Amino acid sequence: MRLFEFEAKRLFAEKKIPVPNGIVVTSPEEATAAVRELGGEAILKVQILSGGRGKAGGIKKADSPDQAFGLAEELFAATIKDYPIKQILVDPLYEIKKEYYLGVTIDRANYKLVFISSPSGGVDIEEIARTSPDKIFKESFEINEKMYSFQAFGIAKKLGFTGDLLKKAVPIIKGLYDVFKAYDCKLAEINPLVETTDGELWAADARVSVDDDSLFRHKELSEMGIEKRHEEGEMTEREQLARESGIPYLDLDGDIGMFPGGAGFGIMGNDFIHYYGGKPANFMDSGGGPSPERLAKMLILLDENPNVKAIFGARFGGISRCDDFAKGVITFLREHGLSKPMVCRMTGNMWQEGVKMFEEAKKETPEVFEKIEIHGIETPIEEISKRAVELAKEAN
Amino acid sequence: MAILVDKDSKVLVQGITGGAGSFHTKRMLEYGTQIVGGTSPGKGGQTVENLPVFDTVDECIDATEADTSVIFLPAPFVKEAAIEAIYAGIKFVVVIPEHIPIFDMMEIRMEAKKYGTTVLGSNTAGIITPGEANLGIIPDIAFKPGRVGTVSRSGSLTYYVADTLTRSGYGETTCVGLGGDPVLGSTFDEILKMFDADPLTKAVVMCGEIGGVYEERAVSTIKKIKTPVICMIGGVFAPVGKRMGHAGAIVEGSMGTARSKLRVLEEAGAYPAKTFTDIPKILKSLNV
Repeated sequence: MRLFEFEAKRLFAEKKIPVPNGIVVTSPEEATAAVRELGGEAILKVQILSGGRGKAGGIKKADSPDQAFGLAEELFAATIKDYPIKQILVDPLYEIKKEYYLGVTIDRANYKLVFISSPSGGVDIEEIARTSPDKIFKESFEINEKMYSFQAFGIAKKLGFTGDLLKKAVPIIKGLYDVFKAYDCKLAEINPLVETTDGELWAADARVSVDDDSLFRHKELSEMGIEKRHEEGEMTEREQLARESGIPYLDLDGDIGMFPGGAGFGIMGNDFIHYYGGKPANFMDSGGGPSPERLAKMLILLDENPNVKAIFGARFGGISRCDDFAKGVITFLREHGLSKPMVCRMTGNMWQEGVKMFEEAKKETPEVFEKIEIHGIETPIEEISKRAVELAKEAN
Repeated sequence: MAILVDKDSKVLVQGITGGAGSFHTKRMLEYGTQIVGGTSPGKGGQTVENLPVFDTVDECIDATEADTSVIFLPAPFVKEAAIEAIYAGIKFVVVIPEHIPIFDMMEIRMEAKKYGTTVLGSNTAGIITPGEANLGIIPDIAFKPGRVGTVSRSGSLTYYVADTLTRSGYGETTCVGLGGDPVLGSTFDEILKMFDADPLTKAVVMCGEIGGVYEERAVSTIKKIKTPVICMIGGVFAPVGKRMGHAGAIVEGSMGTARSKLRVLEEAGAYPAKTFTDIPKILKSLNV
């Protein structure tokens, strides 16, 4: 879960990392007042949960309070990297002498924490890795290890700090590591760490991502107003709707509605559709033991999506059995109906019973099942994928 | 023979008195798994399915000689429970719940390495040695004893692959669920080495997916071992930067893409299967 820059800086300040005395504003009037307070000139930075905002026009320099009004007005009206702008951080200006990179992250392959630093900050770490890989330093830590001052000193030396700056850099390096540990972070980054011409160090920008799954033990974050949020850009209306019902769902750009079962096969099933020349309209995890109400919600998501021309369904009956699945889907079809053709396969626990229930239901109300094709274990899932692609082509 | 669990494994259930714990204890017993007891701090002395419940893992081991644990507990309690089992001398721990904090899984893994314990999960459906033992929430219907091992990050793929192996007559030695969370107790390479040491396992099907680095970590092992490895990687057409159901299934830039995983695995000598029906064809060509 990514934090806004101003939130990340609050965490930094808690650990005594020097951050500029910036002001968060929500209107052009506030922006004007903030620039005045900071001495008449300042930097306006949009607060979004995405990198690359500078290149996208989200960072502006205001030379006067009056100019700040116009700039803030423009920024608040803009959408930057798909994000509407609700907050701007107004930061003081400083004379930059040099920029450094500091970051902590998790090395999942080796089960270590890794502190990454570079004297070539100010650009993405990926870019530093490409252009000057010899200027990136890495130190690994076990999950239960703290960072000692002498270790931070070693990192500061590698970055080229000497004298007074060396003394100032050590607590910043240690502080960043402490932030990472204290708040269950996935990433904590100062980029750039700015050295000013008057010999000070400032965390000019801050990027922190915390582990959503650890929020239960970080009440202090919610007290600071940092709540669970969606971090992968803006959601579509359907994604929002699915999220409210607790259904893992993504909109994609194809025309085959996917109702595939668990997440693993959900990912693989989308590939199968592509292999046979089709394109899925969505990703969905419809696994677990969905109740009839949940099944209905999932099918409505697909039915009401105008891009969906045909529906691919699959069920591997486990602890939640195929007959329960069949019952839920049949009830939905009778009560709600489905405007799209659907091909669906059941296998696993009680699949014969499930198939039989569909056959009998079709005899009773054939009109409801006209465009529904049900298969059992004898039809490979690959054939079902092909058929869904055909159905979508026929509908177009 | 099998790997990690068989009919002689003496299994304890941590969180046996909870809803999921008691439900799945019954299922596992019905399959023939040798469940010997469970723990639930503060509920020692009770019984579940006629099995004794203890306050601590130590007490459970003293009374039952348990050597394996399956954890059914809410996420905030998993770290303590897993490390309790590791310190008590349990050699194999299966973590079923999902949404375990990353730092907790890192700590569990660190302690497990120190004590020589194998941990599966978090967010795994479990592990099954067909005809012998079933640990976790795996529906046993697709599984038959046989000669191919499987290792997967996904429950649903485990079922589909086993179904394919069972219906094509190969059957399975052991099917291992690594789990869908971003940091896992065990990795593909470690499980592949175990299968390679098992004389009954003639080939392994490895199912990965987008995100993370665990598939890439298997490269040097695949080169070394004699047992042939068939690989399936989900998410060749996955969108970048979007999470697909599993917390670990997200592609970041060009890292962790299905294509890059398939390429390195194929270079290492694994046999790529695009769909399930490819699996028996490849096995046949390998004379398994």
